[in-house]
Amino acid sequence: VNFSPIDWIIVAGYLISSLAIGIIGRRYIANVSHYLVAGRELGLYVGIATLAATEIGTITFMYYAEFGYKAGFAAFAAAAISGLVMIVVGRTGLVISRFRELKLMTVPEYFEVKYSRGLRILTGFLVALGGILNMGVFLRVEGQFLTIVSGIDTRHLVAVMTVILLLELIYTVLGGMVSVVITDFIQYVLLSVATILVTIYAVGHAGWGNIVDKISSTMGMEGFDPLINPRLGLTFLVWQVLLWFAIHTCWQTTAMRVFSTKSPELSRKVMTWTGFIFLGRGMMPMLWGIAALTLYGVGTSGSDGVPVPVVNGRSLQPLEAMPAMLAEILGPGIRGLVVAGMLAATMSVNSSYLLGWSAVISQDIILPIRRVLGKGMLSSRSQILVNRLANLFVSLFVMFWGLYYQLPGAVYLYLNITGTIFLAGAFVCVVGGVYWRRTSTLGGYLAMLLGAAGAIIPYFFLHWGENITGFSAFGLAAFGLVVGSWLRPARPAAVSPETY
Amino acid sequence: MRYWELFWMFSILVAGGAFAFITVVVTIKGGKDMREMIARLRDQKRENLE
Repeated sequence: VNFSPIDWIIVAGYLISSLAIGIIGRRYIANVSHYLVAGRELGLYVGIATLAATEIGTITFMYYAEFGYKAGFAAFAAAAISGLVMIVVGRTGLVISRFRELKLMTVPEYFEVKYSRGLRILTGFLVALGGILNMGVFLRVEGQFLTIVSGIDTRHLVAVMTVILLLELIYTVLGGMVSVVITDFIQYVLLSVATILVTIYAVGHAGWGNIVDKISSTMGMEGFDPLINPRLGLTFLVWQVLLWFAIHTCWQTTAMRVFSTKSPELSRKVMTWTGFIFLGRGMMPMLWGIAALTLYGVGTSGSDGVPVPVVNGRSLQPLEAMPAMLAEILGPGIRGLVVAGMLAATMSVNSSYLLGWSAVISQDIILPIRRVLGKGMLSSRSQILVNRLANLFVSLFVMFWGLYYQLPGAVYLYLNITGTIFLAGAFVCVVGGVYWRRTSTLGGYLAMLLGAAGAIIPYFFLHWGENITGFSAFGLAAFGLVVGSWLRPARPAAVSPETY
Repeated sequence: MRYWELFWMFSILVAGGAFAFITVVVTIKGGKDMREMIARLRDQKRENLE
């Protein structure tokens, strides 16, 4: 075990205090609006903290470090796109201002406001499917990170995964968004300190000059220029722009922060400032991966043309290079602080995702289906109960998927594709719904179904590349919306919004 | 290559600097935000019960 007693004390202290503070959030839950959108009381600074913490997890560090290890500095382009697109969305208010004005609680709720209840249920199903598949690999990757850095035997991976899940599940189920926001704030501070510390340590150990030399010698110009790098290229970059516009507007966990702010104007400010954080969120862990390549990339070249990492005589996967480097370069105390920071990142992401996807299952699938079946409205208390049960269901699925699913390629690209299952259709429908008067329910159905088919069939069954899969999903969704709306244009009166 | 190296070095400095700066500001000012949010939620809960 790499941990000294001081490391264990720091990590245990963090876990206990985080759990206790999270449970306190339960005191402030009076109704379903408190449970899902914190009573729409988020201010600017807490809004930035919770949005950043929600989208920065150990999984983020792992996949970006792997991407940096394999693509060098050229990978920075993807990080730059994620941040710059977020700043543009914040500055323009694209979609998010309208979302906040409508006082929604979930993204699929918009589909009933604009289109129909049936389309809301279909969208809810696809959002839940894509979201849960996306989250399904989190636990395994996070468990891998923690076992490597702490030195715990990998046979205990399942136990580590279970403990992580149980801790975040307890406070998410009890206190909903209020607990998540309070813990996110603390976790954001801790994970940010860890991020900055690791960046300083990684560059300090590898040396900037050595890093540049290593990328030059192993990848040449491809390691610097994203346009000629075989992993990126123009099509990848264009797809990333499209994807990040969709993520920053229609990704349920991001959108829930927009819904939770005090006003539409504030939601735009939160988005803009978090965009600057997103630049570092991507580039810093990519740099850790590049530093790991510099220090340990001495093995024979793998199938992707990059030397495999060799640490203490043992060959590892590129995904494992960064945590193995941290286990080697961080000293006692700092290692505990960094792992506590990474645990904070893990718990903030997972708790937000649990809440986000379970909210969709309860609010956009179960409750609308009850209404279709002619059953009455549920009380706020009963809705919270349904949400809590959905939380448990999502947790069990994530645990099962994490244990048995083997990733076919890079984590980053798997996450992109599973997200695209609903993002392609949802983004096209939402942008069309907000900015084009002719969009109709038939167009919405076609967009959602073709968008999902365009992501699932090429990637999981035809084994096409991620870029082409992404374009096919967005292209088919747009085609479906336009053709459906042209065949059967929208009726003048839209469906009135209804809160369950 | 030298041009790209300088470009990415500048980018990481800007990104890391912005990340650190916003973290400091959020840490300092977020406490007040949090207290206000909790106070409002407490009021809302009281109104809900009445």
